[in-house]
Amino acid sequence: MSKQLDLLQGTLDMLILKAVSLGPLHGYGVLLRIQQISGEQLEIQQGSLYPALYRLEHQGWITSEWGESENNRKAKFYRLTAAGRRQLHAETEKWNRMASLIANVLRTTPEEI
Amino acid sequence: MNLLARFRSWLRWMGNGKKLESEMETEMRFHIESYAAELVRKGMSQQEAMRAARIEFGGTESHKDAMRAAVGIRWWGELGSDLRHGWRLFYKNPAFSAVAVLTLALGVGANTAIFSIVNAVLLRSLPYPDPDRLVRIFFNEPGVGLRDVRFSKPELDDLLTRAGVFEDVTPIFEGSEDVTGAKQPERVEGVNGSFSYFSMLGATPQIGRLFGPQDFVPGFAAEAVISDGLWRRAYGADPNVVGRTLRLDNDPLTIIGVLPRGFRHPGPTISGDVEVFGAGGFSGDPFPKPIRGNRVLGAAIGRLKPGLTLEQAQARLTAMAAQLRRDFPTDYPPRAQWTIEIQSLQETLVGKVRPMLLVLLGAVILIVFIVSLNIANLLLARASGRQQEMAVRLALGASRGRLVRQMLTESILLSLIGGAAGIATAVGTLGFILRFVPSNVPRLNEVRIYWVVLGFALLISILTGLVFGLAPALHSAKVALSSAIREGGRGSGYSIKTGRLRDVLIVSELAFAVILMVGAGLLLRTLRDLLQESPGFNPTQLVTANIQLPNPNEPKEDPYHDIPRRAAFDRELLRRMKAIPGVELAAITSALPTTNTNPNAVGGVANEGFAIEDRSVESSQDLRAERIRISSDYFKVLQTTLIRGRSFTEGDEDGKPLVAVIDESTAHKYWPTQDPLGRRVRFARDPTKPWTTIVGIVRDIKSDGLDIDGVPHIYVSTYQDSTKRLSVVLRTSLPANLLEPQIRHEIQGIDPGLPVFNVSSMNDVLDRSLASRRFSADLVGGFAGLAVLLASIGIYGLLAYMVGQRSREIGIRMALGARRDDILRMFLRKGGVLAGVGIVAGLVFSAFTASMMASLLYGVRPHDRLVFLAVPLLLFAVAVLASYFPARRATKVDPMFALREV
Repeated sequence: MSKQLDLLQGTLDMLILKAVSLGPLHGYGVLLRIQQISGEQLEIQQGSLYPALYRLEHQGWITSEWGESENNRKAKFYRLTAAGRRQLHAETEKWNRMASLIANVLRTTPEEI
Repeated sequence: MNLLARFRSWLRWMGNGKKLESEMETEMRFHIESYAAELVRKGMSQQEAMRAARIEFGGTESHKDAMRAAVGIRWWGELGSDLRHGWRLFYKNPAFSAVAVLTLALGVGANTAIFSIVNAVLLRSLPYPDPDRLVRIFFNEPGVGLRDVRFSKPELDDLLTRAGVFEDVTPIFEGSEDVTGAKQPERVEGVNGSFSYFSMLGATPQIGRLFGPQDFVPGFAAEAVISDGLWRRAYGADPNVVGRTLRLDNDPLTIIGVLPRGFRHPGPTISGDVEVFGAGGFSGDPFPKPIRGNRVLGAAIGRLKPGLTLEQAQARLTAMAAQLRRDFPTDYPPRAQWTIEIQSLQETLVGKVRPMLLVLLGAVILIVFIVSLNIANLLLARASGRQQEMAVRLALGASRGRLVRQMLTESILLSLIGGAAGIATAVGTLGFILRFVPSNVPRLNEVRIYWVVLGFALLISILTGLVFGLAPALHSAKVALSSAIREGGRGSGYSIKTGRLRDVLIVSELAFAVILMVGAGLLLRTLRDLLQESPGFNPTQLVTANIQLPNPNEPKEDPYHDIPRRAAFDRELLRRMKAIPGVELAAITSALPTTNTNPNAVGGVANEGFAIEDRSVESSQDLRAERIRISSDYFKVLQTTLIRGRSFTEGDEDGKPLVAVIDESTAHKYWPTQDPLGRRVRFARDPTKPWTTIVGIVRDIKSDGLDIDGVPHIYVSTYQDSTKRLSVVLRTSLPANLLEPQIRHEIQGIDPGLPVFNVSSMNDVLDRSLASRRFSADLVGGFAGLAVLLASIGIYGLLAYMVGQRSREIGIRMALGARRDDILRMFLRKGGVLAGVGIVAGLVFSAFTASMMASLLYGVRPHDRLVFLAVPLLLFAVAVLASYFPARRATKVDPMFALREV
């Protein structure tokens, strides 16, 4: 447990978009997918997933559809929209720039100043 | 795009809250159960797994709340609960609610009523097709300071054919005419225009037809169109009225059509709506020869060609006038700078009353602000009592924004209830209110509660709700958690913060009251000045009546065709009037004082040109005066001082040398350095007419209105020069209503076809001329009184509240040796300081608002010292008095009781 990292503020939305970009998922599936691709390293408050999903759908970045789950139960599946794809792309770019920038800053040694 | 997606999603859930709830439930249950199933696979018991899954998932209710918020519909549910809560509070506090709703209803109701008038009169377009293209045409001579002079037929033709900016133009002859043949001879308003008058205004008949080009005659047409009102009144709404004959000023006219109920002539009238419409060619008998110098036409309206702006049309007309001046130098002497001006017809109609209506609107808006400030104070007092409720809510996790929203919802609920009551009041009483609006305000018949009026009332209600809700709402949100809870249910004492907020409210209330009082003071002073100002005569114990001799277009029909016949009528009239018991003296005039408000109407006394002997034609071009025909005793009846020379005698009659009496204005204006007595003048500058000798000078008499000074008048003898529009003036100690039957009987004894109208005392005549000033002064004065009352209630309430809250402090002070006088002074000082600050602020604002009222004032400058001195003193005295009662109560606090109470 202590190995797990708390989610950075505002990154949950990005992760959800990424998760559903790989294929339609229901809410629980989104959770599993994020845990899976993060190598179980990220701690997500399970319930907080849903307001985020609703918010993303409200923005028009994902869309939902009722369907059947793998164990034949009624479940709501989320899918990325074209707008969501653009948004994910933009967010990813921003994140990468920010990450390399911060990394650079942190690498700075006294001699370089 | 994003906004659209959000709106679509919001709309989807907004309309289907139940579905949202069930979807959320299903989705979350699926999640928890799936997770539990996995835990079971990892070896937990079913029960344990469900429990763990639920704990891990977190509170479903708060997640659901977050989901609702995510799709933007959470506030909807909250609004519902806030409204229910507000309604309960409202219900639990009937006294407070009743006061708030009642004052609001008054405020919003007054706003609705005034705005409905403003809307109909000022804002709505005129009720004709393409009203923006309708203009009033003025002929001006700015070089000699004259606006709206008369014009001639060739000048009218220039507008139609040469100017190239008008689709159509019609001259307008407004006047009142005698209708005979019905039960009682009746006096109605009439208008004569050209044959295209109706097509220009886009009118269609209710019955029969209207005038068209096929009716053209050079003189007056022998047909008439009548209004819906006259048709119903005089003809009992007879469907076969077309073809019947109407005798108008003895002329038989055939009725060809009836106008629909809603049609109104777009112009000023003398006493009511126009009911008879005639038409003419303005070039043949009875009109003079159509030459440029024969300026007999009074007014004109036109319709601009489509696509032309007012400025473009004006530019072309200015250019055309300049060309005409060059082409006809003898008709347009350079000094006069004769020119043509157009103004939108709407502006012409309503421009005069705009300042008055806007001042009234401003006054009611101030009142509603004062009302809402007062309610804010009440709510603030209540908010202090609700601090604990708010603190508990905060402690339980409500955000401060949420609390502000709840408080605002409550106050807007209150204001909407008050507003609805106000609108209902206004709708119910509008007809009653309109009866008090002076009839010289045009378009009153169009006043209705339109949607835009309801919108305005709603806006005012919501705005007041925000105004009075915001202060207590912000105050509640600032509640300090710990202290409020600790203090418990008892009011939290007079905290510094609330105190300051309430002070600000009171100060603003007083400032608003000052603005209203200054406005009212200025208007009332104007009115008083006008009433006290000498009209140039003694108006007490005078009774007047108006007569109009018929003015048939066919001279053979006219028994009053020439001056000798009219003089005979005048003499007989005076003989009979003097014979009435109780009448001491009688005289005739063509213009009663203060009634010549529409000089270009038929029967109005227009500014006409005259010439002075021995002055060059060139220099006499700007000589103009109003010519008034009077009988010999006129000045004696009016008790107007004859300054020099003599008045008329019975011997100044036809065939004798023509004589005139001038007033001081004329003397100062035209003979500033010479003695006018014995000088000779000639009207219409017509060289074929004999000269008229000036034989006397009298004091100025205010013929054109009490607020109009300096118009030159020349009086002539009615036996030498008369018109058909005349009034009798009787000096008598009897009241008008007692004399009326006898006056009527005597006049109709001479000629049974003559209608007698407007029999009233001279004081009533003067009063009527001030009706609209009186109306606005009374209304604004009433509002100012209300404002003072509300402001003093506000101060009283604040101090009374303070005394209640600080009774313990007072007790301690007294126990420590403070005298009752000290306590009294402490509270009086508080009231005095508040009043002082409010009054000073109000005076600063009034300095601006008063200048905006300048056009409504007469004899008083906007920054009148008396008003600006009296208003603060009066308000300060009232404020101190309002503070005195609670202050005195403070001195009655029993120290022992106050100390023990805690």
